[in-house]
Amino acid sequence: MFIRFLISRVLTALAVVFGVVCLVFFLLHLVPGDPVEVMLGESARPADRAALQQALGLDLPLHVQFGHYLANLSQFDLGTSFYSKRPIRDLLLERLPATVELGMAALLVALLLAIPLGILAAVKKETAWDIGATGVALFGVSIPNFWMGPMLILVGALWLGWFPVSGREGIASLVLPALTLGTALAAILSRMIRSALLEVLNEDFMRTARGKGLAERTVILRHGLRNALLPVITLVGLQLGALLSGAVITETVFSWPGIGSLVVEAIHRRDYPVVQATVLCISVSYVALNVLTDLAYARIDPRVRLGSRP
Amino acid sequence: MFNRIPSIRPETPFTSIREIVKAVIILKRLCAFLLIVLVAACTGPASDAFRFGLAGAPANLDPRFATDATSARINRLLYDRLVDFNDTFEPVPALADWEQLSPTHYRFHLKTNEHPFHDGTMLTAHDVKATYDFILNADNASPHRASLTVINRIAVPNETSLDFFLHYPEPLFPGYLVIGIVPAHLIAANHPLHERPIGSGPFSFLARPDETRLHLLRIRDQRRFEFITVPDPTVRALKLMAGEIDMLQNDLPPELIGYLENDSRLKVLRTSGTNFSYLGFSFDDAVTRQAYVRRAIAHAINRREIIQYVLDGAARPAQSLLPPEHWAGAQDLDPITYDPEKARTLLHQAGYSRDDPVRIVYKTSSDPFRIRLATILQHQLKSVGIDVDLRSYDWGTFYGDIKAGRFQMYSLAWVGIHTPDIFDYVFHSRSIPPNGANRGRFRSTQADAFIDRARAAPNLETKQESYLQLQHHLADALPYVPLWYEDHIFIARREIEGFTMARDGNYDGLTHVRRSPPDAL
Repeated sequence: MFIRFLISRVLTALAVVFGVVCLVFFLLHLVPGDPVEVMLGESARPADRAALQQALGLDLPLHVQFGHYLANLSQFDLGTSFYSKRPIRDLLLERLPATVELGMAALLVALLLAIPLGILAAVKKETAWDIGATGVALFGVSIPNFWMGPMLILVGALWLGWFPVSGREGIASLVLPALTLGTALAAILSRMIRSALLEVLNEDFMRTARGKGLAERTVILRHGLRNALLPVITLVGLQLGALLSGAVITETVFSWPGIGSLVVEAIHRRDYPVVQATVLCISVSYVALNVLTDLAYARIDPRVRLGSRP
Repeated sequence: MFNRIPSIRPETPFTSIREIVKAVIILKRLCAFLLIVLVAACTGPASDAFRFGLAGAPANLDPRFATDATSARINRLLYDRLVDFNDTFEPVPALADWEQLSPTHYRFHLKTNEHPFHDGTMLTAHDVKATYDFILNADNASPHRASLTVINRIAVPNETSLDFFLHYPEPLFPGYLVIGIVPAHLIAANHPLHERPIGSGPFSFLARPDETRLHLLRIRDQRRFEFITVPDPTVRALKLMAGEIDMLQNDLPPELIGYLENDSRLKVLRTSGTNFSYLGFSFDDAVTRQAYVRRAIAHAINRREIIQYVLDGAARPAQSLLPPEHWAGAQDLDPITYDPEKARTLLHQAGYSRDDPVRIVYKTSSDPFRIRLATILQHQLKSVGIDVDLRSYDWGTFYGDIKAGRFQMYSLAWVGIHTPDIFDYVFHSRSIPPNGANRGRFRSTQADAFIDRARAAPNLETKQESYLQLQHHLADALPYVPLWYEDHIFIARREIEGFTMARDGNYDGLTHVRRSPPDAL
């Protein structure tokens, strides 16, 4: 049963990735702005424009270009950047570690903040603790990263001098972008943990656990939190996908050389192959994380395998 | 089997010392694991080098292909070129001086080999020929080919001389030879110069750890320079204040420049620039093709106030596409005065009134500063009875619309203008896109005649005369409303000395930059 479930999820994921590939390829060619114009400028003669179009393969009918793209993709050839002339595989390999590093650090920040806050808010429901935790969560969700980032820089880098302003040089440079990115996620997660925990706190099994004489900490962490984490896992999986797909604003603010800033630069330059490859990379990571989340969910809750998600 | 005795401890988590200790141990292990992972992932700290902040990374370090301004400025440090420009934008010898043997034949003499390539080989006339031959070969799709199509063929009589034969006489020709020279043997070997550039300039390439960092070595004293890309202007300014970069040039909003000027650790240098901001109009549109309307707009804009309060004084009013100090620039053009009453009168003469105001769609890019400027212009035009519908688009869409002529009014800037043949490209009726940048579809037989006369002129003096007449004609016809030339701003830590600013905003000043000893401050 589980194998069938696995196969069905993987096939669906492949279909989604193929859909994204098609969508990105055709939409990108519909967007105004021609890479040849961007590269040559208006001074180029029509003959030069035609020569460059030919050199880049942009003179071919769109379906032929798409065929070539798919053929290359099937051989894991992502192509070459129109602009920098560098293989896109190298560009991605250069940027991916930075994005993964930032994503994981942000997730860690989020979990370290969200779990205690969520538990505190649920256990101390409708007290000053709960209101305080709700306030912190509201603060985290409401503040946009483009404001939070510079504020953290001002305090952490300029006033205190503890961290570098931006860039990816040394471990200290990871702290501020991870805090910026992690805070918003922490806010969402803490609210989710609170509501999920509140749902299970008065369940029969919780009363049983308490009746067995277990310490309240054990009751909450081992019995309550474990059951409350099911919806949280889904959210973490989806958010991790978002984090690994590059946090465009945070990466821009902190000059973090990740996937997000690469795709923004490529869109501005109409560097089609880089945009296509980056979006493909993002969608693959998203879909893979979704599949992994589903599998984890299925492992935790056997009802999912039977197609009846709780 | 006994049931566990119910706890008599208070029902709150983490209350006993043992539990707290356990929690701390778990947390410590987690942090230790994280540290190991992160230390492994992160790169080392920055070195003691001159650090220059950039708004955008150079896109291509191969001068045969680079087109963006940042690449052009960095490539000037890496590669030498045959010809350069002086302060009045006249071509002057760089690697070579020249003589004109006939109207279509120039001979260039390379100066003594002071500049070997960074791989140790000597720069010869063969390298120059190989560079230009490569660009002229249509198969290579170099973006610079269009500007060099005047070249018929290139010959190398000896190692230090080369002859350029032209298709037609072009007195401006030496000014076209400003592309960095690359080694012939590397062209033949298809060496990836965009990744590992090798030129003969004052700086050599060291490394490019990632797209945001570029390391160069100043050959003269083996000083290391790091170019660090920081796209966000606020963060770039904060980085300068924190001492993480030593200097930067341009690309900061005026209010940020004013803020940095008040920081005693920093110094701000300014020089007049030549980047020309303007309002463009469609001549295919029934409203904006009316001379009265364009002139009314020109008189309704208070350029001095905008320069003083919005641009923080970092600009000067413009009267023409070429600045007055340019050898072909007009110095005697009447300034466009701010005269709202005159603007209202002109609109009235054009048949508009308060009840039937002029309505114009004004397109601009999505750059926040450009939108702010556009909003101010919208307000000023409103005060004379012109209703402006302001629309901002992302760069690709905006630029596409402008080239396609889908606009009534737009604002843009011309950057890096050196030679006056820009007039042909921008105002001649044959230069309507895709054949040029006459985006407004301006058709004037008089302007065409001046441009053609300038183009056919046998020497610079005659060319200059025609270009001056043309600029007077354009000041009357107003296909553009000239706004201002933005200044170049260089901001550095106080200990940075020796940087000289260029009118075109190049980074050549880095060749002489130095750090003063702490006790000298």
